Amino acid sequence: MGKKLIELKNISKSFGDLVVLDHFNFYINENEFITLLGPSGCGKTTCLRLIGGFETPDDGEIIFDGKVINDLEPNQREINTCFQKYALFPHLNVFDNIAFGLKLKKLPKTEIVDRVHQTLKLVKLDGFQDRHISTLSGGQQQRVAIARAIVNRPKVLLLDEPLGALDLKLRQEMQYELKEMQRTLGITFVYVTHDQEEALTMSDTIVIMNEGKILQIGTPEDIYNEPKNRFVANFIGESNIFEGIMIEDYLVKFVDREFKCVDKGFHLNEAVDVVIRPEDFDFVPPSKAKIKGIVDSLTFKGVHYEINVMVDGREYTIHTTKYREVGDRVGLSVEPESIHVMRRQRS
Amino acid sequence: MKRLRFFSIPYLAWMLIFIAVPTLILIMLAFSDYSLYYPSRFEITWVNFQIFSQSYMSKAIIYSFGLSIITTLICFVIGYPVAYYLANLPEKTRKIWLALLIVPLWANMLLRIFAWEKIFTPLSIFTDLSGLSLDLLGTNTGIVIGMVGMYLPFMIFPLFSVLERMDYSLVEAAKDLGATDLNVFFKVIFPMSLGGIVSGVIMTMLPAMTSFVLPARIGLGRINLIGNIIESKFMKEVMGSGGLSINVGSLISLMLMLFSVISFVIITRFDKEGETLI
Repeated sequence: MGKKLIELKNISKSFGDLVVLDHFNFYINENEFITLLGPSGCGKTTCLRLIGGFETPDDGEIIFDGKVINDLEPNQREINTCFQKYALFPHLNVFDNIAFGLKLKKLPKTEIVDRVHQTLKLVKLDGFQDRHISTLSGGQQQRVAIARAIVNRPKVLLLDEPLGALDLKLRQEMQYELKEMQRTLGITFVYVTHDQEEALTMSDTIVIMNEGKILQIGTPEDIYNEPKNRFVANFIGESNIFEGIMIEDYLVKFVDREFKCVDKGFHLNEAVDVVIRPEDFDFVPPSKAKIKGIVDSLTFKGVHYEINVMVDGREYTIHTTKYREVGDRVGLSVEPESIHVMRRQRS
Repeated sequence: MKRLRFFSIPYLAWMLIFIAVPTLILIMLAFSDYSLYYPSRFEITWVNFQIFSQSYMSKAIIYSFGLSIITTLICFVIGYPVAYYLANLPEKTRKIWLALLIVPLWANMLLRIFAWEKIFTPLSIFTDLSGLSLDLLGTNTGIVIGMVGMYLPFMIFPLFSVLERMDYSLVEAAKDLGATDLNVFFKVIFPMSLGGIVSGVIMTMLPAMTSFVLPARIGLGRINLIGNIIESKFMKEVMGSGGLSINVGSLISLMLMLFSVISFVIITRFDKEGETLI
């Protein structure tokens, strides 16, 4: 890791009047698993298509390995794509689908056969080479699509919501396998998804996007623990978001109470957003608590309960393994390091 | 569902009376010496097959195949780019173009043939309009031009329907894997339109091969195709010249029917969902 492989410099792209990407800047390191995460329509797929060469930017530069590649056709880039709907060739069998790129490179036949078989083994589809595409399940087609891309040993593999069409169980399995593959092959993965959990589990770096702009770039831990603003906090996991005021360094006031926190560097009395994750609240006896309320609803979620507590006419969402009856009076506490203070978004 | 079966009776009756029974009669005639003029005579025989040793018959077969193959090739060369272009048009303009292709088909076939006939005469309205004088009656060129004009839509429609349905992301996928535009065409677009090509070829070639009004009118009787031989055989019987002409005509007709059936078996093998048949 460490070497910049792809860099997007000041990229803008519009379709008609619709600005899809607005002065976009980021870079991708070698061997990194980077995820573009955002709601649908945020420009993440367009960003991927720009890197793949299926779109050209209106403005800005795409740099690959030190060279500007804006005008290179997709077939001239050392990049392969795993398409959202797989785009497997229905007139070819599994072997010929995977061998498509190698045959175009006019590699010797024995090498093609070897590499296709190796790759089939890697995606756990041994023995499927003669099968027709239409006889494969969604998960198997997905693997063929990945195999067809990685058999060419690209420097970068672009994946556009590749697991979107799979059921939950298969999706989780494939997440693990993709990550494993990326590690063993040493290929840079650029992954597009709107599924925050997928992004958190697989990525080295996450780029959070909304409306064509980058909101935050960081490791999954950074983004989860230190979301830069309300949108990120809301998008990555459920959150309780409060409007507050930073009284001084390490002291924030919200819901009319003062709390110790670990943030500093704000102006005195600066208006801020305060984010508290549902799992960071703890129940304490009401007499010892700053926040007191009444249990409003309770949902069993498997590993934990989701409990809504009504405090001063406002609902707090709490994830806990402790059971409370609806109507119980409870006190809530939160550790200073679990209080995330962020600058108020100017909208 | 069961009660609805009742409604299929008229169709089944139609099929029985106008297709099944005539086919049986054709078979009976083709393999016997029965004649309208000697109703008491009936013997099963292969004698009708002697027609295939006649030089005018083999000439007609060669011409039928030759002219229809040339027609089909020309239709394919013209039709494929047209179908490809149509398939990639925005929906609104595409509909207009398709309508322009379909509307001429509504004009009666005989009318169109007569129109060609007029255009191919040396001094026609075409000459007045363009200053060009054509003299194509009685020539192979005239017949081929007429047949191309007639059957081109039958080539374009099946091709259009496969090309239109093709997923554009496959083209992107091929490019992504290193294919040039030429590669994309020959390795993805062309093989994927194979079903449409087979349908188009058969749907053009079959009517071209069996047509008889067009070669009769434009060929001035100088060029005879299989259809013309069949017609003349049956006409002879009607005129009362007898012989075994009706039997021979039936045999040739059966041969063409067999050819059609084989063709449709081929189409269905290439196009299992029937998407290219309109």
